[in-house]
Amino acid sequence: MPKPKGVAESVAGAIRRAGNPGRSGHALSIRSARDLFVARERLAALFGVRDSSRFVFAENATEALNQAIKGILRPGDHAVTTSLEHNSVMRPLRRMEEGGVSVTVVPAGPGGVVDAGAVAAAIRKNTRLVAVVHASNVTGAIQPVAKIARAARRAGAFTLVDAAQSAGSIPFSLADIPADMLAATGHKALLGPQGTGFLYVREGVPLVPLIEGGTGSRSESDHQPDFFPDALESGTQNSVGIAGLAVSLAWLLRRGVETVRRKEEELLGDLISGMERIPGVTVFGPRDPSRRVSLVSFLVEGMDPGVVGMRLEKTFGILVRAGLHCSPNSHRTLGTFPEGTVRVSPGPFSTRREISGFLAALRKIASARR
Amino acid sequence: MARAAHPEVILIFRGTHQVMSAEKILKRGGVPMRLIPVPRRLTSDCGLAIRIFPPDKDRARKVLSRAKLLPRSVHILREGEVYEEEPCW
Repeated sequence: MPKPKGVAESVAGAIRRAGNPGRSGHALSIRSARDLFVARERLAALFGVRDSSRFVFAENATEALNQAIKGILRPGDHAVTTSLEHNSVMRPLRRMEEGGVSVTVVPAGPGGVVDAGAVAAAIRKNTRLVAVVHASNVTGAIQPVAKIARAARRAGAFTLVDAAQSAGSIPFSLADIPADMLAATGHKALLGPQGTGFLYVREGVPLVPLIEGGTGSRSESDHQPDFFPDALESGTQNSVGIAGLAVSLAWLLRRGVETVRRKEEELLGDLISGMERIPGVTVFGPRDPSRRVSLVSFLVEGMDPGVVGMRLEKTFGILVRAGLHCSPNSHRTLGTFPEGTVRVSPGPFSTRREISGFLAALRKIASARR
Repeated sequence: MARAAHPEVILIFRGTHQVMSAEKILKRGGVPMRLIPVPRRLTSDCGLAIRIFPPDKDRARKVLSRAKLLPRSVHILREGEVYEEEPCW
């Protein structure tokens, strides 16, 4: 994903300064601590949260999701999830099953959307966690996470939302979606560097840290601090990457996620209607751009997704992702397992001209398929 | 740290994030302040503290308590580096 201007420069500046946050009182350490603070404050502003200390940095969405799942579930607990989850949710849940947690996977409907009522119906007395993806990374379909979070809360379960695809792409606040935890990566629609991500934890959610260690606070104690963000942030942080994330978050706050969303919906509209007119091309997921995030999964009849991806790159210089997208159950739901699909993802810097170029390329590939 | 000619008030917070938050709140509240390394005699922590001056103490307490961000401890630093703890925050 291309980054806004200034992100790379901020990373370079941070690595040249070489300050370590929260470990000293000298100017470079303070500067680095301030980068983390500013990025946290911007995350809080983006998601409508007052207390920015509830945003804990992680290496990626995967680490954040592992922290949430493994930090909340105990033997004897039950967890509810959906058939649309990425492996970063399914694999930690399967691991927890080996340790005495039971898991119910609610299947998505034929449109690739899970029914909030079906998720609510799967909640039992001992359900401690409901883990649900905000938008599928395979079909892009937006899931009814607000309804699910409200139902889970009424039933006394905690909700974890995987916002890897939606954070920075769909405008929402944590007041609209009353999730107890929300995980995302910095490198997708938040437009920051790889190696950045976060977990939001609502106050009062009793999470056990995945890792303990040095926090630069309470150093006299053998025990992990219980206050945020230190409780869940041990060891040297990726302050260099987060310095870049702070800049991309500022760009998003200035531009407004609503503006990004409007533009992406326009591009998606062009993309989907154009693709549907190409003989031999099947598009998956909701037709209505307002019901999906900015990605489109498709197949060209009679062609391996990997070959389509390769031709798009070699002949036309268009980069896409082909395969299972780390989400095998989603493909089972779509009927595209085990080959997977090709996925094209316009971003905030994509143009209508690029969409036309892609459609022309796909038309050529599809017409030459036999 | 240089020996202070006038008494100074040292605010110690739980962690770096809380120091940064307090800095923002104090600046917004018009309280002259400075980030300083935590004086060794106060704690073994490797982080930061905030230094203000006695006349600004009440205002600092007011803006910080409004933000629910009171320091973990408050100390008076006088000439000769005597640290007195202020119990009232």
